[in-house]
Amino acid sequence: MKVKVATKILEANDRIALENRRLFDKAGLFVINLMSGPGAGKTSVLEKTLLQDSGLKIGVIEGDIAGSDDAERIEKLDAPVVQINTGGACHLDANMIYEVLSDLPLNEIDLLFIENVGNLVCPAEFKIGEDIKVMLLSIAEGHDKPLKYPLMFQESSALILNKMDLVPYLDVDIEKIKRDSLSLNPQLKIFEVSCKTGKGIPEWIEWIKNKAGKD
Amino acid sequence: MHELSIAQNLLDIVSGQCLKNGFKEIESINIKIGRASGIMPDALSFAFDAIKTDTIAKNASLNIAEIPVTGLCRDCAYEFTVEEEYVLFCPSCKGSSFMITAGRELDIIDMEVS
Repeated sequence: MKVKVATKILEANDRIALENRRLFDKAGLFVINLMSGPGAGKTSVLEKTLLQDSGLKIGVIEGDIAGSDDAERIEKLDAPVVQINTGGACHLDANMIYEVLSDLPLNEIDLLFIENVGNLVCPAEFKIGEDIKVMLLSIAEGHDKPLKYPLMFQESSALILNKMDLVPYLDVDIEKIKRDSLSLNPQLKIFEVSCKTGKGIPEWIEWIKNKAGKD
Repeated sequence: MHELSIAQNLLDIVSGQCLKNGFKEIESINIKIGRASGIMPDALSFAFDAIKTDTIAKNASLNIAEIPVTGLCRDCAYEFTVEEEYVLFCPSCKGSSFMITAGRELDIIDMEVS
């Protein structure tokens, strides 16, 4: 006997992502899913962001396979933070986020960053309920990365090109990175940043203030 | 990637439906996988075979229909299908303002039960 199923296999994840979205909207929260390969500088960008006087009350969800290094760094800056350990999963999913929402003071914060697991592939494929995706690429990763990892570049609203202080020491074609990224995603907002020198951080802060509706 | 957790989700969905409706056994399952979904059909079949033992789907065959990636260009309204698993630009006008209209599916269509 043939039985119609007509169900998306990821329906459970997407349903929870919608519930996360509903809880975020209820708290009037703007949520950014922060993604990159390992070591591009996600946590450093968050530290720099928290150190600026942006007028935004920021909370953070940290996602890593193991350890709590990142959450400890954020905690030192007095921001509400919770660490998720995926225990092996290479990306955060909607349920992992849902499970920790009650550990954060959602009604007291304006902007929530979800720092995803370091990975240029999988995080872009899984809905978790965010408003926008922002990705980082450190220039040390090479100028061939946009065309090698198209989905993340296509899905993101902004690209932070980090470690710009290393330009004198690398044979990297910055214009190619920007050209290829924009060819994948003409609407992509690109920030040239150095967490080491602070270059580009004020422009990034202005942009997120605008996005979170607090400019 | 993630074929094992996808296979588990698949098994949970079909088992749940059987439990709800009193079906005794699943003979076959028809699913569609878009070529841009990031899921490899062979790997999914392998994972499914590995986890279906001792379940209501223990003898079930998994039939996978692969859906090609199709896009619609917002600039020139050209509708196109590509061989690859992703679209970089419209084949007609080379623009990058397009919508993916098919190819990202990961859906269970129906199943044969007894």
